[in-house]
Amino acid sequence: MRAYVLRRLLTIIPVLLGASFLVFASVRMVPGDPADVIAGDAATPEVKARIRREMGLDRPLIPQYVTFLGKAVQGDLGTSARTGDSVARELAAKLPNTLKLTVIALTLAAAFGVFAGVISAVRPNSVFDHASMVFALLGVSIPVFWLGFLLMLLFSIQLPKLFGTGPWLPPTGSGSWQHLIMPSLTLAAFSMAIIARMTRSSMLEVLRRDFIRTAWSKGLGERVVIYRHALRNALLPVITVMGLQVGSLLGGAVLTETVFAFPGIGRLLVENGILQRDYPVIQGTMLFITTAFVVVNLIVDVLYAVLDPRIRYS
Amino acid sequence: MLRSTLARRLRPLLACGIVLALLAGCAGGGGGGSKDVVVAGGTITVSMDVHKVSDSPSFTVLEHINETLYVMDEQGNVKPLLAAELMQSSADGMTHTIKLREGIKFTDGEPFNAAAVKVNLERILNNDLQWKSLISLVTDIETPDEYTVVLKTSAPFAPLQFHLTHGGVAMISPKAIAQGDEYLASNTVGTGPFKQKEYQKDELVVLERNDDYWGTKAKLNTVTFKAIKDDGPRIVDIESGNADIAVRIPATEKARLENNPDIDVEVTETLRILYVYFNVNNPPFNDKRVRQAINYAVDKEAIVNSLLGGAGRPQDAPMTPAVFGYSAQTPYEYNPDKARDLLRQAGVAEGTKLTLHHPTGRYPQDAQVAEAIAAQLKEVGLDVELKTEEWANYLEVTNKPANENVVQMAMLGWSTPTMDADYALYNLFHSTQHPPTGFTRGFYANPEVDRLLDLGRTTVDINARKQHYADAIELIWDDAAWLFLHGISELTAVKKGLTGYVLHPSERILLHGADKR
Repeated sequence: MRAYVLRRLLTIIPVLLGASFLVFASVRMVPGDPADVIAGDAATPEVKARIRREMGLDRPLIPQYVTFLGKAVQGDLGTSARTGDSVARELAAKLPNTLKLTVIALTLAAAFGVFAGVISAVRPNSVFDHASMVFALLGVSIPVFWLGFLLMLLFSIQLPKLFGTGPWLPPTGSGSWQHLIMPSLTLAAFSMAIIARMTRSSMLEVLRRDFIRTAWSKGLGERVVIYRHALRNALLPVITVMGLQVGSLLGGAVLTETVFAFPGIGRLLVENGILQRDYPVIQGTMLFITTAFVVVNLIVDVLYAVLDPRIRYS
Repeated sequence: MLRSTLARRLRPLLACGIVLALLAGCAGGGGGGSKDVVVAGGTITVSMDVHKVSDSPSFTVLEHINETLYVMDEQGNVKPLLAAELMQSSADGMTHTIKLREGIKFTDGEPFNAAAVKVNLERILNNDLQWKSLISLVTDIETPDEYTVVLKTSAPFAPLQFHLTHGGVAMISPKAIAQGDEYLASNTVGTGPFKQKEYQKDELVVLERNDDYWGTKAKLNTVTFKAIKDDGPRIVDIESGNADIAVRIPATEKARLENNPDIDVEVTETLRILYVYFNVNNPPFNDKRVRQAINYAVDKEAIVNSLLGGAGRPQDAPMTPAVFGYSAQTPYEYNPDKARDLLRQAGVAEGTKLTLHHPTGRYPQDAQVAEAIAAQLKEVGLDVELKTEEWANYLEVTNKPANENVVQMAMLGWSTPTMDADYALYNLFHSTQHPPTGFTRGFYANPEVDRLLDLGRTTVDINARKQHYADAIELIWDDAAWLFLHGISELTAVKKGLTGYVLHPSERILLHGADKR
């Protein structure tokens, strides 16, 4: 087991190296001069030259990359050209917010998704099954920004108006747990739906297997058959999906954070990084998201091994 | 059996949900206490370093903290602020004496004096900071006594006093400056009616009243500026009572918000104009008749009324009326027949293909305005293809040097925060400002205009200066250097009960004298 984990850990290094180069090269391939955007309308050529110099853009590409990598390894992701602040500090300031959002959303998605999927599979074609699959279909189809906006209208304007109170939930911003409710529900909807559908189909398949029939015929209780025998075997594909969902949650966080003006790394990446062509911010944030994604995938692989002993030896 | 298990499992969950909803119900947002104001902006300040920011949302925040030597009121009059009186310029226009108010302190206790002014101006000049261009002719800063600053310029420099009203040359405490750029990126100390309390980069800034302010003290306890980029959530914020002011309301929401009994919608004529420039290097736009024809072919009144809900003013000069040097011209009235005539005279064939580059989401309804222009040009026989670009890319495409520049027509906006014609015209029409150096992106060049703009820069006599600009504007207008569109008005939603705020034409919100019922 330990060898397996070690082997998987080692494969991370080339993946991250490759990813860092791709990120570094691709931001430079996108048209748009950072100095133009950052300096603003009336900037003189000297001001733009200063910005390019400060960003190191006056040097050839490879030395730029080597410097970036050398510093990144030591945890220094560079300085934002636009604000003059260190990227690592900007990330550190926003990361807890995105983490909170993602963890809550993933927990909600996993709990409700697996729960709904299991019940639907055990009672196929029941009212609950149909209802939860309709919700799952909606969850997959509704765009994040639209759902977020509807929740906002409902809980911050319409319901309070109906009952003559102040806003039930703050529509934007951060700082209290109330600020997390609408964004995390919005973010969870898609993953919840995917997980519910995946669990349902996986469970339906497992429940038809011989060993389940054997378990029933041994006279085991429903709970033991469903949760210990069937669910454990059905979870493998579900966990794969959850692992992938972490990626889409981080991606979905960009939209959710924008709708709720929530201060996370998604908005840092898009609004401050990409739209402003602030290379250090894009590089730092992308590198971080990639690392997170790779690590989560590693954890998922290890979980497979825990759930299914056959995998360790392959 | 499973069903009963299910019911048992569900019960606590349901209970949790109800409790959550009840608790949340008590989470009334509200704009805080009675003397606390929340402003929902599209963005907040980019940095706390006033010498390095370039956009009006940044100045909106920082001008409550960092004050300038002179200030411009909403009518465009220059008044002394940290200076004690208006600037005295020598007869040759090259020596400028500034007397400072005495006894003012920065909020960290540092005295405000001539030495502090020198530290600030030198920081901008020596480090190529953002607004160096405003004072770039200054060669020497002398401090003959504690409250006198003498600026020497390399040439007569008439707009200097206007330029010193700009937030980009506002005063930061020398002690804060000594702590270095990284410190200043998130901390600032000024002499203003408010001081920095909390700063979460790109999210919010909280200012609190400076109780030791040298002038009339502010009435509000705190002012919070929040960044909400999307229009929808920003409007929800003020409708739900979470914010007191919401900026940049889309024209499409104006009527609905005006029906809300708790909200006023204010229309402010800004200093920003929208225009389409022609690349005059290449045919067909090297022919003045074609440029004039396009001005006749586009109905600016209709664009303002139908696309902007009236929140704009068709242009009658390449600047707004609030700018010093403004001189109204006879607008090119909507006249498609005349346009067709002129095109025929210029030998432009029916169905000629042209491209129009435009940004999207940068100016109010920019993409829709571009579509309207294309549709109206089709009426006079021009087949216009629209090229929509994201902002960063747009700046690069339009800024290519002449031999690489493929743009034929492109939409841009320009704001004149100094409220002076030099800033409005020199950057946009002087032939030294062609890409990639400056902002005369259509390569417009008229030696007589150049001469008049140079004169405007160096003439000290106000009336003579005004005349130079009037002459230049007349030439520019007749040359039809642009398709002149409209001056942009801002729509701002303000909660009823808030008084004394100033919606400045430079797109800044000033709460120095604001009060809240």
